[in-house]
Amino acid sequence: MINKRLNLRDIVVISFISAVLGVLYLLWVLLGQIVTGVLGPVGGGLMAGFWILAPVICAYIIQKPGAALLAELIAAGTEVMAGSVSAGAVLVLGFTQGIAAEIIFAMFFYRIFRLPVLMLAGMAGTSAAFLTQYILYGFSQYAGSVVVFMLVTMLISGALLAGWAGKSFTDALVKTGVLDRFALGRQRREGQQRNAV
Amino acid sequence: MLEELQTRDAFLQRVHPTLKLLSLFTVFFFMIFIYDIWHPLAVLVLTIAAIFFLGKVPLKLLLILLLPFALFGFSFVWLQVVFPEERGATVLFYVFHMPVALENIQTGVSLGLRAMVFASWSLLFVLTTSPVSLVMSLIQKWHMPPSIGYGMMAAYRFLPQLRKELVIIRRARQIRGMGSKPRMREWKEAGVPLMAGAVRKAERTALAMESKGFDGSRKRTRYVQMNYKKTDVWFTAGFILFITVVFLLPLS
Repeated sequence: MINKRLNLRDIVVISFISAVLGVLYLLWVLLGQIVTGVLGPVGGGLMAGFWILAPVICAYIIQKPGAALLAELIAAGTEVMAGSVSAGAVLVLGFTQGIAAEIIFAMFFYRIFRLPVLMLAGMAGTSAAFLTQYILYGFSQYAGSVVVFMLVTMLISGALLAGWAGKSFTDALVKTGVLDRFALGRQRREGQQRNAV
Repeated sequence: MLEELQTRDAFLQRVHPTLKLLSLFTVFFFMIFIYDIWHPLAVLVLTIAAIFFLGKVPLKLLLILLLPFALFGFSFVWLQVVFPEERGATVLFYVFHMPVALENIQTGVSLGLRAMVFASWSLLFVLTTSPVSLVMSLIQKWHMPPSIGYGMMAAYRFLPQLRKELVIIRRARQIRGMGSKPRMREWKEAGVPLMAGAVRKAERTALAMESKGFDGSRKRTRYVQMNYKKTDVWFTAGFILFITVVFLLPLS
């Protein structure tokens, strides 16, 4: 990698992608509230992975330090700007989820962005969300089995909705060629050239 | 409608966004340690009163916005009754041979009310703070890098265009005979062109910013100055009083 720092173009592209996802996050909150209201926080856990899409997608595209955290913060910021009725929780969660995903990418020195790493980042994101909600909403007052079950559903959701779905979506996006000037797009072009030779 | 509320001529709207944000996190912090009913109830009522009187937000709108959170809060109650960490001693009645204890209902209601307090303070922030002033004050007072702040604003301004693009994509699919109704597995087929459009727009925006001499440095003149004013002193004093009375002094 030539330049590992985020430049203006990276930042603006992360902003736009995360803003779009931020709007989807908001719609997902409505869906999540209905599911949580009916099935309780345990059922709501299955929805959690969706809110880790921004760090997974942006880190996978840009592959630089800070991309994951910035993406999640901007997605949270967009939710607040668009008028989220849970602004406070959204901002706290945005920070913890972003940090958690960022740590996973840092553990692999921002070099490996294969499916298992992305799934791990998604799971780290949802476990951070779990921990945050545990403290914010007083989960310590519930039976241990319920809390553990909630964590398990959130981990599964993080691996599938954030890791797997995020990668599969981004892989489809990179084929359009709009990402050719970013790390992920470059890798795709280099792969094609190799095949041509 | 949101914009009209955010720019209304009222006390809360004039308070500096960073202070409101700080107060939001402070309330969150103090609420974490509360497990009784009266504290969250008092905070909830005071917050709603503050938004109504100091922010001039219609009470009806406030209650409608809080309604989904009442449902969300209620899920805490039944979960607490069915799966408590420790079942209370004062059994009120039985539901299908399952004892329902007073203590568990109390804890559940407390946690549910806590969720509603979080929602009401978030509403206080969101309904009285315009996005532009929020980002501007974060850049000017909390050292947010200008490139991130202005990038966010550009992205935010782009959002209304999304809906139009979605309509275009849908029509393009329709005209090619791919069906008019979006199905579950087609989320990618509509999502990919939508996101590709966003990325293209982002690159063009970044290029425009750079070509106009924007390099993300702080040394620049500003049209909107976000300085602290007298209102902010009043707000801070009032907030400290509120925290002291509700959380720091024992109520009972």
